[in-house]
Amino acid sequence: MKIPKVAFFDFTSCEGCQVEIANFDQDLLKLLQVVEVVEFREIMKETCSEPLDIAFIEGSFSREKDRERLQKIRQRANLVVAYGSCAATGGINALKNHKPDYKYKVEVYGADATMPHLETQKALPISAAIPVDLAIPGCPVNRQEFVRLVSDLLHGKAPTIPNYPVCMECKKKENICRYELQDTCLGVVARAGCGALCPSNGIPCEACRGFVDNPNLDSLVELLIKTGMQPAYAMAKARMFTANLVEE
Amino acid sequence: MRLLFLQKEELEPFVSRLIAWQEVVGPKAKKNRFVFDKLESPAELRLDYDTTILPPKKYFFQPQQDLIRFSPEGFTGCIEPKPRIIFGVHPYDIKAISMLDYLFSDGKKDWNYLANRQAATIVGINVHQVFKTAFFESMGASIVTKGYDLFLTDIGEEGFVVEVATDKGEALLAYGHFTQVTPDQAQKRRKILYGQSDRCSQKLFNLPEEVSEKVALSFYHPIWEEMASRCFSCGACNLVCPTCYCFDVQDMWNLDQESGIRFRTWDGCLTEDFAKVTVQGGTENFRQDRSSRYRHRIMRKAVYLNSKLGGPACVGCGRCASACPADLANPVPVLNKIMEG
Amino acid sequence: MNHPYSYADDREEKLITTEGAEREEENIFLPKPARVLQAQPMGRTEKYFRLAFSDGSSMGHQPGQIVEASLFGYGEIPLGIASSPTREGYFDLLIRKAGRVSTALWNLEIGDTMYIRGPLGKGFPVDEFKGHDVLIVAGGIGLCPTRSMIEYIEDRREEFGHFTLFFGARTPKDQLFPNDLARWREEIDWIEYHETVDQGSPEWKGNVGVITTLFAKTSISKGCRVIICGPPIMYKFVIKELKKLGIPDAHIYVDLERRMKCGVGKCGHCQINGLYVCTDGPVFNYARIKNLEEAF
Ligand code: SF4
Ligand code: SF4
Ligand code: SF4
Ligand code: SF4
Ligand code: SF4
Ligand code: FES
Repeated sequence: MKIPKVAFFDFTSCEGCQVEIANFDQDLLKLLQVVEVVEFREIMKETCSEPLDIAFIEGSFSREKDRERLQKIRQRANLVVAYGSCAATGGINALKNHKPDYKYKVEVYGADATMPHLETQKALPISAAIPVDLAIPGCPVNRQEFVRLVSDLLHGKAPTIPNYPVCMECKKKENICRYELQDTCLGVVARAGCGALCPSNGIPCEACRGFVDNPNLDSLVELLIKTGMQPAYAMAKARMFTANLVEE
Repeated sequence: MRLLFLQKEELEPFVSRLIAWQEVVGPKAKKNRFVFDKLESPAELRLDYDTTILPPKKYFFQPQQDLIRFSPEGFTGCIEPKPRIIFGVHPYDIKAISMLDYLFSDGKKDWNYLANRQAATIVGINVHQVFKTAFFESMGASIVTKGYDLFLTDIGEEGFVVEVATDKGEALLAYGHFTQVTPDQAQKRRKILYGQSDRCSQKLFNLPEEVSEKVALSFYHPIWEEMASRCFSCGACNLVCPTCYCFDVQDMWNLDQESGIRFRTWDGCLTEDFAKVTVQGGTENFRQDRSSRYRHRIMRKAVYLNSKLGGPACVGCGRCASACPADLANPVPVLNKIMEG
Repeated sequence: MNHPYSYADDREEKLITTEGAEREEENIFLPKPARVLQAQPMGRTEKYFRLAFSDGSSMGHQPGQIVEASLFGYGEIPLGIASSPTREGYFDLLIRKAGRVSTALWNLEIGDTMYIRGPLGKGFPVDEFKGHDVLIVAGGIGLCPTRSMIEYIEDRREEFGHFTLFFGARTPKDQLFPNDLARWREEIDWIEYHETVDQGSPEWKGNVGVITTLFAKTSISKGCRVIICGPPIMYKFVIKELKKLGIPDAHIYVDLERRMKCGVGKCGHCQINGLYVCTDGPVFNYARIKNLEEAF
């Protein structure tokens, strides 16, 4: 296998996914023996314009003027991987899609709200701007899954992301279900692949990886209301990471 | 039947010595629930548990189990059993293990399971507290007469009457101080094991044989649709079940991108893609609707496997009922309703 | 109330005591390497492979049986064996590029290694066919598993009565095994061959229409034994025609496809109600499964 050239790019995001990958430690070193990283802001400086085997893109597409930069990356790269929920679905950024932009900017940025780099449109997945070969969800991405999917790509094997809920992984870890503890949890509709990270650490799943293909959202809202949530809040919760998936 | 006696205060030294000798796993507390886990000290052992989140099948048929290791040099199997004592298994779980033993040895033998099973020594215990959703009495699973190596019956303050069932069980005796059982103690044991009924709050109104006959004819019963409308297809009810043994097989490369593993991992027939396949260029899902998947599980517990097992593939442990976030996996109300109608 | 019905009492000898070496030998997940002798693209997305086990052993299968074929790192898929056990020293497989595993297998070339577990399942009960007329109805890639039976009949011609083969493909381009088809069209002494395509092309001179239109081209005897293998939708229509001809259910055999993972009756993926396609099938007597929900 020839050593593939890969590069990492970021758009509207918290860069948490890049940090997650940079923190691979031993695994990253081993992986670096089989790929050549030519661009990665979090761990190196140089940038270049040579052709790439895989371009990894983090963050959502939320400014029209990013389109050109994305198209350039697409031209250079044989495969484009949108990694992290921001890039895969719009992620947490897409929460604002349901609110008038202005009010949020003032709340968050105060007087700086009119700065030009804050001029944004709706937060959309990278696939809204350019064709994407693989979208890896997760906020942040799960390292093991990331390595596995990239490994599949390197071998020319179409990677698969589970289409079953987080509960499957949660039960394999023998966690006590949040609902048994009078808590809530979106694991019943969230797409697995993270190893049920949150319930395994004693907090509810927020479906940061998006939903399975056919989530039973009616049943979810009913269940959340049964735990004592206000209906409107239950709906909002069901939408937190998946604003672009659940239309109003 | 060979019966011995173990005094209450002799339990801890017995378990301590076993721990020093082999890996011992047993029920331990986890917040308000229990789990089978490795014992570091006998004090962790909670023989008064109601039920565990996962059944002991996890020691023979692990949530993820390597099948083959491969590298450019070749490939090898991964049958690597580890001796282990499973201490404090309830009768319904012993019965479920016997079922899996049968299913994994029926036809072609699955040594990936059977070798682990053979390496295990099972110490049974009578049920002290009945789990809230258990109905093992209705499934004929409150008493077992085989499938264990030792069986302890807690007869109260005095201690445990110990039944020695196999050579493997016999081998454990050297680690404890056992005495002859008195007729009175043997009598108490009999009363506890056979004299108690009606402890489970959940009940089937009919015999399993009758249930199986009628459910087999209820393929188009409206109840499937009714129940499944709220189902998340999350598979929790499958994974916690001591008689579920479905799995998926996957391959994965190691970081070196050359070597890797083929492994199996628990799967559940409730999940959407379980019966989905590419046929003749298109995809076909043989159980597309939630209701058909929901029905498949209940049918599989009550009907489909009966001809292989000689009875239903459910032992009434009640785990599925408690694991279901939507509170609809409990077979009891479903089966009772079908029997009524 | 207790119901201590006896569970599996007489079956306990099944839990046995075999030791290490035998266990490895019997490890149901270990495949055997097989070398690719021939590899040839065929149809739009298919590729034909001729293979032989590297240790020189023969497949020793029944026509209609299956194998699990794999490449490490990619995974395993079930495939029908496409050649007859009467042809020794090799076995044939046909791979349709559809998913991850099949694409990786498709890419293999002569001299490469494929990993095979099998033969698995139950094939065509050839003894039930002996002395009778035989009709095989094959649609699309369904020609592949039935080819094992076609070759078997060719090699043991005297054991069977009149032999008719219907083959339907979507378009002429989708026809498989062109060399075989050319031969079958010519050789009329042992095989009566009829073919059709759903959609023709300018060059196509043959029949156009669904496979059931072929029943009008010939007459099928009442005592005929029938094999059907094709896309799920085909079964219903073909069986309807057979009913018109008065052929009893028990003389009809169907070859079914399901999702399979283990191929040895454990993983549950191929289950149709209480039956396992991988061990009870893939060939089923129609009388046995016609009332089974989820079968068709
Ligand atoms: S805690 Fe959440 S993910 Fe885990 S089983 Fe319960 S609902 Fe599912
Ligand atoms: S458990 Fe839920 S919120 Fe947590 S990482 Fe997984 S998908 Fe995201
Ligand atoms: S179906 Fe439910 S009650 Fe029955 S054995 Fe399985 S988990 Fe226990
Ligand atoms: S088919 Fe369903 S009910 Fe049966 S063992 Fe598999 S997962 Fe469990
Ligand atoms: S646990 Fe409940 S919600 Fe989940 S698949 Fe089973 S029945 Fe459906
Ligand atoms: S393929 Fe696993 S049971 Fe049939």
